[in-house]
Amino acid sequence: MFKDLDPILHSQLRLAVMSILISVKEAEFTFLKEKTNSTAGNLSVQIQKLKEAGYIDVTKQFKDNYPQTICKITKQGIKAFEIYVTSLQSYLGTG
Amino acid sequence: MNTQQSQLTEKESLDLIAKMINKAKESCHDTGIGSIMWGSVIAVCSLVKLSEIQFGYQLPFDIYLLTFIAIIPQIFISIKSRKERKVKMHEDAYNSSIWLSFGICIFLLILILNFIFNDWESVGREYRELTGHPSGFMFSEYISALFLMLYGLPTFVTGYALKFKPMFWGGIICWVCCIVSLFTTIKIDLLLVAFAAISAWLIPGIILEKEYQKAKRELKAANV
Repeated sequence: MFKDLDPILHSQLRLAVMSILISVKEAEFTFLKEKTNSTAGNLSVQIQKLKEAGYIDVTKQFKDNYPQTICKITKQGIKAFEIYVTSLQSYLGTG
Repeated sequence: MNTQQSQLTEKESLDLIAKMINKAKESCHDTGIGSIMWGSVIAVCSLVKLSEIQFGYQLPFDIYLLTFIAIIPQIFISIKSRKERKVKMHEDAYNSSIWLSFGICIFLLILILNFIFNDWESVGREYRELTGHPSGFMFSEYISALFLMLYGLPTFVTGYALKFKPMFWGGIICWVCCIVSLFTTIKIDLLLVAFAAISAWLIPGIILEKEYQKAKRELKAANV
């Protein structure tokens, strides 16, 4: 039924992360963790998958001597997200 | 959300997207400290100036110098707020640029007014010498209107763009006060400026700060 849906996006946590990142310019890892109510380990794995797919950019830096991870959606990510939403809408007949 | 591979139905997917977008939008709160500070500074300056006129005394310094001094804490507030933010919104750049433009316009307006005053002084003096009585045109009566017009612009734009009603109405109040001040004396003009500053910045700033502190507490609780 969902064979045409992007498998990278069709996962609860990855979709949640992409939905947040599409609404903001960039977000810290801790912000994503709080908003998605996920564990750091699980979120790291899913972020890595999104990064490997080219859907997000991940920047690691130091802020006040603490490591900081910043995530930002890419153009490819926006395109994939739009296609995914359009597909969902067509399934539901709302698009 | 700990089931990394849980399969979603179409409806659940769309609901999740909507929920996360709303969560992201709702969680972006700015500190209201800057707004509170500027609302208070402008209101205090106007009210002190009014009391100087009303009670016939003069402070050893121009009270409006406070507005220049307030730039220093504003810089610290901006740096601290930028450091604390865990998320950047698309509209942040527009919002910052409109307030920066506003600051530059206020500076230019003060500069222009100083030029006009210098020229007007000599015209007024000549008029007094020739006619024997002071000029009926009091340029200072219109200064508050110019400032109120500018105060309304970034306040209204911020309120409208960010859907923050207190600032939206604050901007409108500035423009209403601007029109009213054209028909009132300097004393009432100063009261109008104080009223506009309280409505446009102080009250919205208090509301913003309350929301910011609430969001901060929630974030802290979530991370415990």
